[in-house]
Amino acid sequence: MLVVRRSDEGCSATQILDFLRSRQYWMDRKPMTSTAAPWYFVTLPIMDYGKVRELQHQVVSGKTAGTIDADVVIWVEHDPVFTLGRHGGEENLIVSRDFLLRRNIPVVSSERGGNITYHGPGQLVTYPIVDLQKAGLRVPEYVHLLEQMMIQTAMDFSVQAERSPVNPGVYTGNGKLGSVGIAVRHGIAFHGVALNVNTSLAPFQWIHPCGLKGMAATSLEKETGFAFTREEVQAVVQRHFCGLFGVEPVLLEFKELKKML
Amino acid sequence: MKEISELNLPKNILYTKDHEWIDTTSDPMRVGISDYAQDQLGEIVFVELPEAGTSRNRGDQFGTVESVKAVSETFMPVGGEVININTDLSDRPELMNESPYEKGWMMEIRVTDPEELKTLMDRDAYRKFLEGIR
Repeated sequence: MLVVRRSDEGCSATQILDFLRSRQYWMDRKPMTSTAAPWYFVTLPIMDYGKVRELQHQVVSGKTAGTIDADVVIWVEHDPVFTLGRHGGEENLIVSRDFLLRRNIPVVSSERGGNITYHGPGQLVTYPIVDLQKAGLRVPEYVHLLEQMMIQTAMDFSVQAERSPVNPGVYTGNGKLGSVGIAVRHGIAFHGVALNVNTSLAPFQWIHPCGLKGMAATSLEKETGFAFTREEVQAVVQRHFCGLFGVEPVLLEFKELKKML
Repeated sequence: MKEISELNLPKNILYTKDHEWIDTTSDPMRVGISDYAQDQLGEIVFVELPEAGTSRNRGDQFGTVESVKAVSETFMPVGGEVININTDLSDRPELMNESPYEKGWMMEIRVTDPEELKTLMDRDAYRKFLEGIR
């Protein structure tokens, strides 16, 4: 499957980076507007899935209790892990638990929607913790915007991705590039989306991703041949997030967020 | 998104801030989610209900409703014991969209303390509440 590129001369990493710089993707921030709402943006290093899940629960509790007023987005990568949705997905694990145990990859349950998926280093995970009612968003529109964020990001790296009429998420001709799984508690959405940047794709072959038999996974690296860094991709993702959700980011250190909890 | 004026909000039931309803005229009392809630969620594809015979306190989670890869939790309007659940929802979860107050009910409960019903909103109070969060 051919990767659709912005120019038909082909692309080098330098050309793509030049293109992005020319669009001021790296340094530029969305100008402050009266309608943009301040949101806390927290960037975490590679972290254990369970720890970040617990952190999300604490932020949801803080928002429910009114101690955290602003919405929060956590950007993170996870240590290798398979996660199941609220309604399962273990039946879509093709390999044995022993096989995963030998590779030290746990399988954990989660309260999010969707089926089984894999997280690992090189995959950029976005967890917006957002009051959907205050944001005036219905769940389908919210999911649509998150998908749009991944589609626009992929496009900026010269990768054509699109939605599936069958299953939420973002796909190229080679397979699934980004996954969606949301939970809603007291009107606060948490969990989010995972975009494969340069993560190992082998573990996706051990499952039917999201319960889809024969569905392969792909990554920005596989599509372009370039291993973009997390920082490069996160900057683009954040920019699209701000544009799509009308957000003015307030960068917050992890320890500052923890103080609020 | 439905406008508040477009929402079907029956007057003979009570509502919670999490958009559940309870029919105090039935015995045991029926519980479900409001027209606002089903509209907010979109097409419902999976419903998780509690087991009959189990008891929960007011505000405890009793089930989940899944739409477009999003799982929403539902909470007890008042404390009580689950007497019946709507088994039709396992095959036809979309009934919660099509008929949130009738065919799409979730469970019937025997209320532990009727005093707790006083904490809930009637239709007018719920409509005001919805206007406040929009």
